[in-house]
Amino acid sequence: MIEQLRVLVADDDPMLRMALSEVIEAEAGLHVVATAADAEEAADLAERHTPDVAVIDVRMPRGGGTHATREIRTRSPRTQLLAFSAYDDSGAAEELKRLGVREFLVKGITNAEIVAAVRRAGEAGDV
Amino acid sequence: MRPDDGYRLLVQGVRDYAIFMLDPDGHIATWNVGAELIKGYREEEILGRHFSALYPPEDVAAGKPARELEQAVRDGRVEDEGWRLRKDGTRFWANVVITALYDEAGELRGFGKVTRDVTGRRAAEEALRESEERFRLLVQGVLEYGIFMLDPDGRVVSWNDGAERIKGYREEEILGQHCSVFYPPEDVAAGMPTKALERAVRDGRVESEGWRLRKDGTRFWANVVITALFDDNGRLRGFGKVTRDLTERRAAEQALSERRRLLSHLVEAQELERRRIAWDVHDDSIQAMVAVGMRLQLLAGRLPAEHHEVMGQLEESVRASVGRLRGLVANLRPTTIDQHGLIPSLAGYLQDVVAGWGLETSLSADLPNEPPMPVAITLFRICQEALTNVHKHAGATRVDVTLAGKDGGTLVRVTDDGVGFAHPTPDDPYRHFGLLEMRERAEIAGGWWSVASTPGSGTTVQFWLPTAPTQEQP
Repeated sequence: MIEQLRVLVADDDPMLRMALSEVIEAEAGLHVVATAADAEEAADLAERHTPDVAVIDVRMPRGGGTHATREIRTRSPRTQLLAFSAYDDSGAAEELKRLGVREFLVKGITNAEIVAAVRRAGEAGDV
Repeated sequence: MRPDDGYRLLVQGVRDYAIFMLDPDGHIATWNVGAELIKGYREEEILGRHFSALYPPEDVAAGKPARELEQAVRDGRVEDEGWRLRKDGTRFWANVVITALYDEAGELRGFGKVTRDVTGRRAAEEALRESEERFRLLVQGVLEYGIFMLDPDGRVVSWNDGAERIKGYREEEILGQHCSVFYPPEDVAAGMPTKALERAVRDGRVESEGWRLRKDGTRFWANVVITALFDDNGRLRGFGKVTRDLTERRAAEQALSERRRLLSHLVEAQELERRRIAWDVHDDSIQAMVAVGMRLQLLAGRLPAEHHEVMGQLEESVRASVGRLRGLVANLRPTTIDQHGLIPSLAGYLQDVVAGWGLETSLSADLPNEPPMPVAITLFRICQEALTNVHKHAGATRVDVTLAGKDGGTLVRVTDDGVGFAHPTPDDPYRHFGLLEMRERAEIAGGWWSVASTPGSGTTVQFWLPTAPTQEQP
């Protein structure tokens, strides 16, 4: 049996959080282990669940994507990070890359692209 | 030649002076060339006649000739200026000296009379006097300027109507007073009146602006020019002082500065509002649309194939909406002028946004200074609106933006090669509002805005905003 990729979804917008979870959950081999609405919650849940992949909204309350990324790097080192960013968040991109974010998913890309990125991150984590 | 002959020849030959002798009764005893030239009588015509023939009838009637002889006898000589008659009855203005002549025994032998025609000098003096009088009347009558003179010690020695109107003193009240009465107490304590006069003496003139006192103690904002007046020998004769009441101008300047302050607040408020709307759209509307799009894709995967086309169209609509909302956010977003300056921000906008619409762009800027922030933001926003109009309505392939310093402000042209339009305010209401908004922004900032267009040959939006001074006049 193929082991499932365990995914954490963090986005402060409830509609987007739910939609993103559903998209990932609908895919074979992907499973959403937790959803977070802010940076602190994302870090806590990552530490508790040690997911394979975390999809982090760049702009979130209580510290934003940078804080969440930095915390997850230390509290769940083997979690692979994807930034889910708005069209114009490119300013934060440099710092997030430096903190270890693998890829940037611009909100509005197709579900297929999102899923492909999550799988790529998961495979990278296995290596 | 005897010495007497020499004198006679000299006297005879003098042409500029009538020099002749009277006997003790006033009859003409000698005559010279000058007398003939000035009075018109030849020697043989006049010898033996009484000299009153040379006076106008009214002087004769008043006994003036006899009186002058009496005075000459009494005082030794008499000098007089007045009208005299020529032979032809015309008059000339004469300077006359009559000297009583005595022999060695002390006996009156007659009178020497020297007459000069000073009509020309008199005319010149008269002209000068009239000119001075006219000038005095002019100075006296000027109401907009207080024009008056001070003596070398700073005391008022003349006064005009303007000075009375501005300062409230009547002439008889102020003459003789020291000019320090016009200064507020704190300036007097600081020695300003004396310093101003000293500087005028040193530099020739001194100009200043400041508060001055009216008679009633109220203050007015004055522009004052003090000029030191020296005579031909370089001696200080006094000071000319010209005072203008600038209170109204100052009030106007303050109103202008208040207007600029309001503009700055307005621009700031507009920018804040735009930022708030941008975040709202960004954080709420776009996110919601993105979520809807994702759910539509999920749904599409679960529906039978016959629904795929409709679902595809729905997804496309959502995607297009997201794109438009992002465009809106980009337009509403705060400018980067505060970080990078106006021209780099405009260049960035042309490159990132306008070029993205498929338009070729060019930017040429020749500004002596970076305009102050509210002006720069207004310039940017009007350009943005003009460029958006080009994108939406012009059907253009290129747009050129130029900025140049002009008339103490910035002149901007946005020119496209699009379809143009026939009327300055076309019927399209959205376009109409866009034009109105640009114009209002320009006019609120104290500038102007215009659009010129010919169908088929493009449109040029042109506007000018004044560069408000960053610092107020002291």
